[in-house]
Amino acid sequence: MNINTNLKKQNTYDAIVIGSGISGGWAAKELTQKGLKVLMLERGKNIEHIKDYDSAMKAPWEIAYCGKLTEEQKRTHPVQTRDYPYQQANESWWVNDLECPYTEDKRFDWYRGFHVGGKSLMWGRQSYRFSDLNFEDNIKDGHGNDWPIRYKDIAPWYDYVEKFAGISGHNEGWPFLPDGQFLPPMDMNCVEKSVKERIEKHYNKSRILTIGRSANLTVPHLGRGNCQYRNLCSRGCPFGAYFSTQSSTLPAAIATKKLTVRPYSIVNHIIYDKESKKAKGVMVIDSETNESIEFYAKIVFVNGSTLGSTFILLNSTSEAHPNGLGNGSGQLGHNLMDHHFRCGAEGTVEGFEDKYTYGRRANGIYIPRYQNFKDDKRDYLRGFGYQGAASRGHWHKEVAELDFGGDFKEILSRPAESWTMGLGGFGEMLPYYENKVYIDNTKKDKWGQPVLAIDCEYKENEAKMREDMMYDAAEMLEAAGAKNVKAYDNGCYPGMTIHEMGTARMGNDPKESVLNKWNQMHEVSNVFVTDGSCMPSSACQNPSLTYMALTARACDYAVKELKKKNI
Amino acid sequence: MERREALKKIAYLMGGAISATTMGVLFESFTVYNPEQDYNYSFLATDEEILAEFAEIILPTTANSPGAKAAGVGTFIPLVIKDCYPPDLQQIFKKGYEDMLALSKTKFKKEFLSLNNEEKKLLMSELKQQTINNNKEPSFFLISRDLTLLGYFSSEIGCTIAREYLPIPGKYDGNADYTPGQKAWAI
Repeated sequence: MNINTNLKKQNTYDAIVIGSGISGGWAAKELTQKGLKVLMLERGKNIEHIKDYDSAMKAPWEIAYCGKLTEEQKRTHPVQTRDYPYQQANESWWVNDLECPYTEDKRFDWYRGFHVGGKSLMWGRQSYRFSDLNFEDNIKDGHGNDWPIRYKDIAPWYDYVEKFAGISGHNEGWPFLPDGQFLPPMDMNCVEKSVKERIEKHYNKSRILTIGRSANLTVPHLGRGNCQYRNLCSRGCPFGAYFSTQSSTLPAAIATKKLTVRPYSIVNHIIYDKESKKAKGVMVIDSETNESIEFYAKIVFVNGSTLGSTFILLNSTSEAHPNGLGNGSGQLGHNLMDHHFRCGAEGTVEGFEDKYTYGRRANGIYIPRYQNFKDDKRDYLRGFGYQGAASRGHWHKEVAELDFGGDFKEILSRPAESWTMGLGGFGEMLPYYENKVYIDNTKKDKWGQPVLAIDCEYKENEAKMREDMMYDAAEMLEAAGAKNVKAYDNGCYPGMTIHEMGTARMGNDPKESVLNKWNQMHEVSNVFVTDGSCMPSSACQNPSLTYMALTARACDYAVKELKKKNI
Repeated sequence: MERREALKKIAYLMGGAISATTMGVLFESFTVYNPEQDYNYSFLATDEEILAEFAEIILPTTANSPGAKAAGVGTFIPLVIKDCYPPDLQQIFKKGYEDMLALSKTKFKKEFLSLNNEEKKLLMSELKQQTINNNKEPSFFLISRDLTLLGYFSSEIGCTIAREYLPIPGKYDGNADYTPGQKAWAI
């Protein structure tokens, strides 16, 4: 291809950020604020803050089909409709699976949103730090490679991102859950407080229950409004009350006047220059015109979501990198992890019939990991935490089977007689080399690109852990005085937690990892990967806060190195 | 260990039942799209009228709030059956619907719309019993009852008159007093 030199100049930036979700938004903010001219590439459409949150203010009766999904939606979204996140109210924020297929060697539910903001618009907002116990698990039990960092390396960056993003929560001093820079916590309801007290007493504080740490503002923060307790976050918040690219990092980046956002830009590969041994830019397919365009920069941040980024790196082959960019270790695409959930217990709690809630809290309670710690030894490695909540819902157990009529209607118009408390486990998944993704050239997406194949499964460690995720929950609820306690395991497939990670892991040794301790490619010094693909282990905490902290830290390092002319 | 075994028994009994919604039995396992089947159900205006009367028996007008008919459930059911149900369930619905109309004629010698309230209730009690006897396999009665509950309690009448709707609560109080008879919050 002949490149017009003017065009080349016009298409040259200091930095390119691939992706606009949680980590891409942070990269754009940090790099522009440090003075770099940044191009942020997003493969999907633009979504403008507030203006494009079409369903945010809709009442229940204004939602099509009262929320039921249509057969046509199931046809065009065979993967996205496998679980709850794809909803009638935000259905346009999830991909059309037919346009971007992938190969499932084993079932893997890949939930994707192609638009500015990515999954930062629909995320669960739970924000927990990893501790040294997490960073040291790999080296201690020999699964996966050692994390190249420890808590002290990331702690100031957790502080930094929490202060900007606005995380509400309560400091507990719990070994597996480091304290942070929190806005005032949301309230537990009366039943949660009672359950907390009884569990902590019963287990002599060897287990604790705290309010969820959530990226929802409990007070106005940096020009954003506080949570209005509507619990409709996944439609976009007109008050800017939860952290998203749109509400937080994007306005900060735009304010520098150094950011260019280009939607409809699918990065096909990173262009490698064998003379300088660096990336010189990226090749983009315009998703609307199918035109190929090159963009150039001194550094490239890869933030296309774990598997999106891994696809780009695997697809960036050259003579020097025949198996994918920076893949001399052969680890790229391997060690895929997710968490596992959908099992726990619930029960009814009596004695609070004279109490009810006001407002809909977009948050629950959290029981941080306590297993395989001190005297609590289990027959599997690592552990799990619980998310849960107590509520007084609409379900009336006294109603006769398939009842109907005037009395029935009156009963359903009142809250349930009793409160229900539920605990759902979130378990760690070990990194297994054989859980992998690779490029499948037998299929093409809408734009003619090959697709990703995913070969991933939970194994014995996760299966054993799930038993405890059920029974520990049941035991705790009984200890808390709950009645009719029922444990459940609704089954889980990798991908369902939407915490996929690990396919371009960090490490100190270039022979066994893709990225160094700064999220910088061992082999290509001007490429940084700071989304979930960098994770050597998954812990059991929700990971997005860690991606934010690693991204801010990597940006700081990259700009310093750039100034020193080291990259 | 004994304790854990006891808990295990509870858990196995539960199976996957916990995901069943409070609104009724929404047939999750039937919602997978099946391209092999092609069945396009069309409804007539009289069908909507009949379904509105059906829904009104499920959730009738009471002293406190208008019923399912006023809430528009008569048009909601056909809309959802057409767009949101796979062909096999559409056929079950259609067959059961026709059976109900026929039962009205054999049992009361009247068209469904000419039945009085007591007759409609008797008819529907029979459909309900059939569904229970049939282990709650999908049926016209089950589907229509579910959709009546969903449509009504999502409707403006259901949310704002039967229950109470707070579009923007602005705060959270997890220890609010409940006064007997107070309505449930919508959603």
